[in-house]
Amino acid sequence: MSTSSVDEIPDQSKDLFTQDGVLLKNCVGRPVTDLNSIGMLCIVQNADGTKCVEWRPNDLITIDSDTQDQEWAVVNTVGRRQRTLSGNMTSDYATLRARIIKIPLEELKTFKVTRNNQQMQFSTKQGVWQTTFYFQHGNAEIFVAYLKNHVKTAKTRHDRNTYVVVEPNVESQVLNRSFAELDIFTENTTDVVWNLVSNFKQRPYETTLEAFSKLTDIVYYGNEGLNGKRDVSEEVADLLTKSMSAMEDATTITKNEEYEVVSVKPTLPPRPCIPRGTPLSTEKWDALQDKDGRITEVEGVKQLIFRGGVAHSIRQSVWKHLLDYYPWQMSHSEIRAHQKKKTEEYFSMKLQWRSMTEGQESRFSEYRDRKSLVEKDVNRTDRTHPFYAGDNNPNLVVLQDILMTYVMYNFDLGYVQGMSDILAPLLLLLGNEVDSFWCFVGFMEKIASNFDMDQAGMKHQLLQLQQLLMFASPDLAQHLAQKDSGNMYFCFRWLLVWFKREFSHIDIMRLWEVLWTGLPCANFHLLICVAILDAEKDVLISKDYGFTEILKHVNDLSMSLDVDRILSTAEGIYHQIVSAPHLNDQIRIILGMEPLNMANSAHSGNSDRQEAGTSRTQTNGNETRTNGNEHTGPFGQDIDEVMYQIGLDMNF
Amino acid sequence: MSSRKKVLLKVIILGDSGVGKTSLMNQFVNKKFSNQYKATIGADFLTKEVIVDDRIVTMQIWDTAGQERFQSLGVAFYRGADCCVLVFDVTAPNTFKSLESWRDEFLIQASPRDPDNFPFVILGNKVDLDNRAVSAKRAQQWCQSKNDIPYFETSAKEAVNVELAFQTIARNALAQETEAELYNEFPDQIKLNANDNGRNRDGDNCAC
Repeated sequence: MSTSSVDEIPDQSKDLFTQDGVLLKNCVGRPVTDLNSIGMLCIVQNADGTKCVEWRPNDLITIDSDTQDQEWAVVNTVGRRQRTLSGNMTSDYATLRARIIKIPLEELKTFKVTRNNQQMQFSTKQGVWQTTFYFQHGNAEIFVAYLKNHVKTAKTRHDRNTYVVVEPNVESQVLNRSFAELDIFTENTTDVVWNLVSNFKQRPYETTLEAFSKLTDIVYYGNEGLNGKRDVSEEVADLLTKSMSAMEDATTITKNEEYEVVSVKPTLPPRPCIPRGTPLSTEKWDALQDKDGRITEVEGVKQLIFRGGVAHSIRQSVWKHLLDYYPWQMSHSEIRAHQKKKTEEYFSMKLQWRSMTEGQESRFSEYRDRKSLVEKDVNRTDRTHPFYAGDNNPNLVVLQDILMTYVMYNFDLGYVQGMSDILAPLLLLLGNEVDSFWCFVGFMEKIASNFDMDQAGMKHQLLQLQQLLMFASPDLAQHLAQKDSGNMYFCFRWLLVWFKREFSHIDIMRLWEVLWTGLPCANFHLLICVAILDAEKDVLISKDYGFTEILKHVNDLSMSLDVDRILSTAEGIYHQIVSAPHLNDQIRIILGMEPLNMANSAHSGNSDRQEAGTSRTQTNGNETRTNGNEHTGPFGQDIDEVMYQIGLDMNF
Repeated sequence: MSSRKKVLLKVIILGDSGVGKTSLMNQFVNKKFSNQYKATIGADFLTKEVIVDDRIVTMQIWDTAGQERFQSLGVAFYRGADCCVLVFDVTAPNTFKSLESWRDEFLIQASPRDPDNFPFVILGNKVDLDNRAVSAKRAQQWCQSKNDIPYFETSAKEAVNVELAFQTIARNALAQETEAELYNEFPDQIKLNANDNGRNRDGDNCAC
């Protein structure tokens, strides 16, 4: 049955990025029957090191078990090997593979994103959009963000949604390459840049810091204008020349000081040691409410909780506020009415699934599948904790009822693995079905994107985490990138259930209530990840751990982490980052800070995903450089970018 | 040619949520069964040394989440696999029906060099339960129709056939490895590629 043919999957090709829920809308040269099928859009690295954008139909993934009956699905594919009637795997597989669309990055000329990030088109020939994809989840910007790590692009002047591929950047992935790897500062090189650097190295640290921080943005954070080695060198030369002219009294070069220059990497300011506070006490909590029970100083309360958490005795009431079940400003009597309304609402939703007959259920597979998944997971959620232990534990029934009612509350999302982990500590603390449900709803509001069908939310967070780590702990980030771990997948469990599997119940309560305050910045949970990883940095690097060892090491940290120490470290890292002179817009946006470069903030809500990789900090007053904005001056584009634009503008 | 060196075999366990992937792995590696395993989030692996035809072989067994939407992250974990174990629950027909898509998904994501001959093993788990819904005959027929995939009926709970199944998994994975080298004139180059994938194999594992 084994055949060898060109259709076989090539050796060693690997997916660098994949995105689900992508519909093939149009493709020149493909039969109509191939269109409008759903699949996965990927960035693939081939065996020979070249890369391509590849689309695979889902049929390839989900051939039904009775393959023989599925002939119709592929009969229209022309010019491929004959399928055998037995429907054996070789031929099915080969025929389906014929429907894969590959666009080599070397041939890619332009691509554009339209319809509010729902549509993406590719062109390998000027004047024709050969391939059009539709993103079901309207998140094409994520694909673009990843694609821009592999090709050097420029936006066109007239249409900021259209990207021109200036250089298919086969070799360098800026995100994954360290400064050193880019080979700028090798000792032996006779390169112009090195000479400049050598001449330059005696200069005072302070005057160069700005220039280098700018350079770091380019090298570390990826940039449309500067992906290749040559460009970086030019940029270095440019920057250094400027700095030199600003500093006339150059001194002589001494060979043994060469490393001075290499060490002029942007370093974060020292990490402040910020002690944790005491938990919000009953007395304080009472004092914060007026006589009717209203809380007006919401920000103050959140500050206190951020600093020290909440005393266990008052968690029940404080959590309901933190999780947006009880509005802060409601009086006692208003809360009673609110609670009554919410209780009725809960039970009416519960009744919806409780009253489903067996017959209905038998004809409602989607519901049935969810119910069975909930049952399976409830039976294996925190069963070692006394509250959920033992056979026929009634608390398991409550867990199940809440999760099933949530399925009715949000049928689009339904039940996803991990939700039972999120709910268990809430029910354990609150002990009440209705309260636990509404608090769970509030928590889910904060983390719903973790459970996206296409995992876009998780992928986005993993990318942001990588970017933060590159800024806060570049040595470790580089090590991970070299070890095929730059995707940060080993942090998946941490992020999906907000560290629930890593801490004891009592510690997870502390961590969650701190995170719920939303202080001191957006995405503070990513800084928790950075704090944990930074503490493991020496082990991971000195033992030269690879992908598998890193994953094992990280998984094995579970239940050995000190929540207060981590919170304190994470806050220290936060202060280091925000006071760093080279803090750029990419990081600012992740942390929810206003970007300095207003051109970026002018875009719509999704702009952070798209623009994050392209912004540069303004450190040098006489140079303005922003990608994709109308005010781009002569500094902003090099000649080949302009040429490409002219070609494009004439053709489109 | 060097031989008799340690070999690392990467084995991926796939199947629907709750079929017993984690339990099978733990029964094989730790000889333990627990009702208290949590649903797997992300991925984890355990290793165990076994002896196959006088050779010491380290099996690295990967366990992943079973819910479909988490599979898009699977590619990072499937890479470089030597054998794929597909598990279903004999009391749940849906989990049996999913086998085909699990297999196809694996082939796409792992992209093995020779997809037609890549070793799979099917395990029908939970045979200790009495509400069986997929007959052994039906499962066997399906396995035969798919290029004669080896089939075992297991119980992770009562340690039925688990050892035997994993012995077969190790043997088939090893055969695949050896065969891959026979096809190639320069086995050392293969080795380098394998290392590039971030795996820690030491040395040549050719037995000839």
